[in-house]
Amino acid sequence: MTIYNVDSKGTACPGPITDLIRAYRKASNGDIIILQATDPGVVPDSKAWCGMTKNELVDTKENNGEYEVTIKVTAKK
Amino acid sequence: MIKIAMIGGGAGGLITTSKLSAELSEEIKQEKVSITIFDRKETQEFQPGYLETAFRGTKPEKLKRPVDKLISKGVKIVHANCASIDLDNHQIITEKNQEKHDFDYVIVSTGCSPDYSQIPGLREANMDFYTDAEVSSRIFSTLQTIKSGRIVVGIAGLPYKCPPSPNEAAFMADEYLRRHDMRKNVDITFITPYTRIYTAEPINEVIEPLYSERDIESRTVFNTDSVDPAKKVITSLEGDTVKYDYLFLTPPHKPAAFLKGTDFADDEGWVKVDKRDLHITDHDYAFAIGDTNNIPTSKAGVEAHLEGIVVANNLAMNVTGEGTKHFFTGRTQCSMETGFHHATFVVGTYDRPVEKIKPTVTNYAEKKVMEEIYWASLHGHYEWLFKYHFKRDYFAESPS
Ligand SMILES: Cc1cc2nc3c(=O)[nH]c(=O)nc-3n(C[C@H](O)[C@H](O)[C@H](O)COP(=O)(O)OP(=O)(O)OC[C@H]3O[C@@H](n4cnc5c(N)ncnc54)[C@H](O)[C@@H]3O)c2cc1C
Repeated sequence: MTIYNVDSKGTACPGPITDLIRAYRKASNGDIIILQATDPGVVPDSKAWCGMTKNELVDTKENNGEYEVTIKVTAKK
Repeated sequence: MIKIAMIGGGAGGLITTSKLSAELSEEIKQEKVSITIFDRKETQEFQPGYLETAFRGTKPEKLKRPVDKLISKGVKIVHANCASIDLDNHQIITEKNQEKHDFDYVIVSTGCSPDYSQIPGLREANMDFYTDAEVSSRIFSTLQTIKSGRIVVGIAGLPYKCPPSPNEAAFMADEYLRRHDMRKNVDITFITPYTRIYTAEPINEVIEPLYSERDIESRTVFNTDSVDPAKKVITSLEGDTVKYDYLFLTPPHKPAAFLKGTDFADDEGWVKVDKRDLHITDHDYAFAIGDTNNIPTSKAGVEAHLEGIVVANNLAMNVTGEGTKHFFTGRTQCSMETGFHHATFVVGTYDRPVEKIKPTVTNYAEKKVMEEIYWASLHGHYEWLFKYHFKRDYFAESPS
């Protein structure tokens, strides 16, 4: 299992989702993507993305305007 | 003599050297400063025109200009590409004869180009409007022969230049087929890895109804994995498939090869810069502007332009000791043609989210004006207009 730490802090829509999709391309099933961002849109956007792609949203955290979304890659063929 | 090297003589390289040559004209005359562009290209192309070539049949020659006519007074050009760069030792090595060139300041504006290696089968199956004008014209030749079937357009991978361009392809293909009374026999499908037809919600709200109106199908969260040119099937990372008869997808893009593996670029070769003053991390005499840097904005000519203006101002200030430092605002302004003489714009900055702008004929006219003034604007002739248009977004006086 590989952990992909994706730093999208300081980027606004569509930055974090673009970074997530780019990391997802490199990842395999079972890998974890940890997406960090300052754009609050990252939480609903990641939720929607996980729901639509059938990847697993493991956790979301917020701390002083910084968001961390943890996703487990499960949907690849 | 202070030597300024510009690697890349495209949109960013030309506008930046034109401003530098104007600001430092006295120093250049007195041979205290030299400005040199490194780029093997002898001809430049108006890249936004690739869509016109692909979907309206504009002749490739109309998009081209000889580089020598585009270079501003006082700027030299070496017609050779950069093979490698040693920032610590202030040296560029060119591909031609491995010549060494010293610099005091360097600006990288080497753009980006399609990377077909990421998606097996895509090169064989696809025709794109990113590689150059000639390649784009093949789409029009094909379009003229289409009688029935399915055209698939959209985003095959990230990042790529000009975010609205895949959507424009859908609208422009639709317009062509409707004008030629072929639309009822031909389906158009748009695929995208994003969750919406256009990733920024305010623009999505504007174009989603147009997709329904024009009967353009969409497949969101479709992450293209491979293409089977024999079976004419695109397969996603998740194993879903889309069938096509004609494929005009936007490939993922890559930066110039010499940047990959350097300590100032990320693992894909995008140059790491400060998003406000564009200096390359840890090197205050080196900058990267335009499509090749890793800042969180669109890869578009407007960015290359406004970043170049900031870098040229700050560099001239370092040389002359006069003026004040400027900062890039993150301003983007990409036109999105929606067909039938209408267009919207994707407008935002680092601090303001993308606006909701409805497609209008006036916006389309603005896009057309840009086409008309593009070549002269590279000489800096229309900075008064850009300053007026972008207002407080033209540059910032403080970093935040
Ligand atoms: C279909 C399409 C539609 C577009 N529409 C718009 C639009 O509506 N609005 C907008 O703002 N932008 C648009 N763009 C994007 C715009 O054209 C680019 O963002 C802009 O050209 C970027 O400028 P640049 O200087 O970074 O790169 P470029 O203009 O691509 O120039 C890069 C230069 O670097 C040179 N080079 C590469 N490698 C080397 C090397 N190793 N050594 C030396 N030189 C090198 C190349 O030869 C080239 O001349 C569009 C692009 C396309 C393809």
